[in-house]
Amino acid sequence: MSRISDMLPRHFGPYGGRYVPEMLVPALEELEQGYLKYKDDPEFTAELTDLYQNYCGRPTPLYFAENLTRELGGCKIYLKLEGLAHTGAHKINNALGQALLAKRLGKTKVIAETGAGQHGLASATVAARFGLECKVFMGEVDVRRQYPNVYAMKLLGAEVIPVTDGTKTLKDAVNATLKYWIQNLKDTHYILGSALGPFPYPVMVRDFQSVIGREARTQILEREGRLPNHLVACVGGGSNSIGLFHPFLQDAGIRFHGAEAGGRGPAVGDNAARFGGKPKVGIAQGYKSYFLQDESGQLQDTHSVSAGLDYAGVGPELAWLHDQSVIEFAPITDVQALDAFKRLTRLEGIIPALESSHAVARAIELAPTLPKDEIMIVNISGRGDKDIFITAMELDRENWIAFLENEVRHGK
Amino acid sequence: MENNIDRALANKAGIQLMTHVVAGYPDLDVNADLIRLMASRGVKLIEIQIPFTDPLADGPTIMRANQAALDQGVTPRHCFELCAALSKELPDVAFMFMTYANIPFALGLETFMAKASQSGASGLILPDLSWDESDGDYAGAAREHGLHPIMVISPDTGGPRLDAILSRASGLLYTTLKVGITGAGAGIDQAGVEYVRNLKKKTALPIAAGFGISSPDHVRMLDGLADVAVIGSHIINLMDAQGLGAVDEFLAACART
Repeated sequence: MSRISDMLPRHFGPYGGRYVPEMLVPALEELEQGYLKYKDDPEFTAELTDLYQNYCGRPTPLYFAENLTRELGGCKIYLKLEGLAHTGAHKINNALGQALLAKRLGKTKVIAETGAGQHGLASATVAARFGLECKVFMGEVDVRRQYPNVYAMKLLGAEVIPVTDGTKTLKDAVNATLKYWIQNLKDTHYILGSALGPFPYPVMVRDFQSVIGREARTQILEREGRLPNHLVACVGGGSNSIGLFHPFLQDAGIRFHGAEAGGRGPAVGDNAARFGGKPKVGIAQGYKSYFLQDESGQLQDTHSVSAGLDYAGVGPELAWLHDQSVIEFAPITDVQALDAFKRLTRLEGIIPALESSHAVARAIELAPTLPKDEIMIVNISGRGDKDIFITAMELDRENWIAFLENEVRHGK
Repeated sequence: MENNIDRALANKAGIQLMTHVVAGYPDLDVNADLIRLMASRGVKLIEIQIPFTDPLADGPTIMRANQAALDQGVTPRHCFELCAALSKELPDVAFMFMTYANIPFALGLETFMAKASQSGASGLILPDLSWDESDGDYAGAAREHGLHPIMVISPDTGGPRLDAILSRASGLLYTTLKVGITGAGAGIDQAGVEYVRNLKKKTALPIAAGFGISSPDHVRMLDGLADVAVIGSHIINLMDAQGLGAVDEFLAACART
């Protein structure tokens, strides 16, 4: 083991690691050493900070949700509005960091996987900004249900490649991207979008996303003079949650809540709740963690109304924090998420992404049971514009179909 | 230790063929017929792939075969049974199980190895179970069960990492001829050929070379360089398009090299 490897956590307890075909190892080692070299480099961090402030719009606001707080009648609820970052979600934080690193490593092309499309959009955006050629792999099912983002990615100059393997969702997009990378290692950097996959991605993505928690910490101390009692975030792969939670992990007295996709219910294939039922540890997509799988080790189909949470695995650091009872995970059904989506929109004038609506739904469950003097921060990881084709079909079906038919009939 | 891999590669004349079947694709009966056919054409080394939902190193052909086998309900138990039946019928053939880490991990690594060994297999190929993971140094345990842990490397594997792998490998060393995923190619990469040539200087282990071998000419090119030519996707493509007869003709042509 090289001295360099020992300086970044390759494992979180028994999780994480680098379970990849040998031919990917040199690229991952190059990335590991590159990240280690630049992560604390003053020039690199200054450039990233400048981009965060002047391109991305950071710091994003920490907003006191007065109406929601009053209606729920429990603890004070603050919302960390990552949806106000450029491209509408927290994904841009990581994409900017990795694009800067890719440039430093001399790469001219980037590839990315995407589920809901927000990471693909963020990758296409940074590729346009830095003059990098970009390909985005996206499950065929997700291409269908997230077309606004597909359109935006193409507009930004990225090639969107529909993945028709397996479940045709995020998991298969990850596989397809890794395979493309294996064949194009020399000039291509893989902007992996969540805090998972083979080392060093879980630690690198976490570090880039930790800007969320660092800002929230400063902001809540300024506003309330003390740290929050509760942090709530949705968990698909887990990048927005680990980004919010990580800077608070050393603090005593904070409860961390992860909202998973409970989908249509607990039956196999109806949800993406890795910690619901009997969590099973496995090895797939380059890392060890909890995966939804059958007794033979085959990954199972998943479902969520939210494409971004529709994923069979979960980041290894979150798995380790689950085992230590640091994070309390709970499944949120599609119905609960849609209800939370409507309530936040009506009460606060904020349309959350369907992913973030899961976090809001968990806050709605928790807040009324908590004392009024306690503080909760909910990560609104993205805004709901991208979900309009899902939410309109769910909540305003007839009018929406009439609108679409009219567009098709009269469109040229 | 001597097992069927050692026997197949001892006193060999010319290059050996190593072929690949995805258990359950198109079905287990055809797998058995295909394996018999391979053996009748002198193939002594056969990989039986246990299908997995997320086969990271495999290209489109083998990936589709994996999914089709899973759709039919094929489980690791079926794969052990296939190997057990065929290894009794064909005692000279060295069978190896090839799959991804989560399959043995779900069963328990030790249990998996015991079952593989009991079914008559001689080796294991787990391309995503890296030797430097905390639970990945399974080579010793595999050998205790009479199985060779077949290490897979690529032309980018070098330096101390290659030395570490060589110190753990036994039976044979499997190198890809290109940095990529499985799949029949138009030709053999010269850089891959050079890599195998250099590898021969570093190890006494027999070397199997694969990825992209799709014609008897490719096998001929490797003769005298590698000890074993691995043919995977091309046989599945042939079988799909033209049936077992075409596979038979192809193997016969390769055997004449």
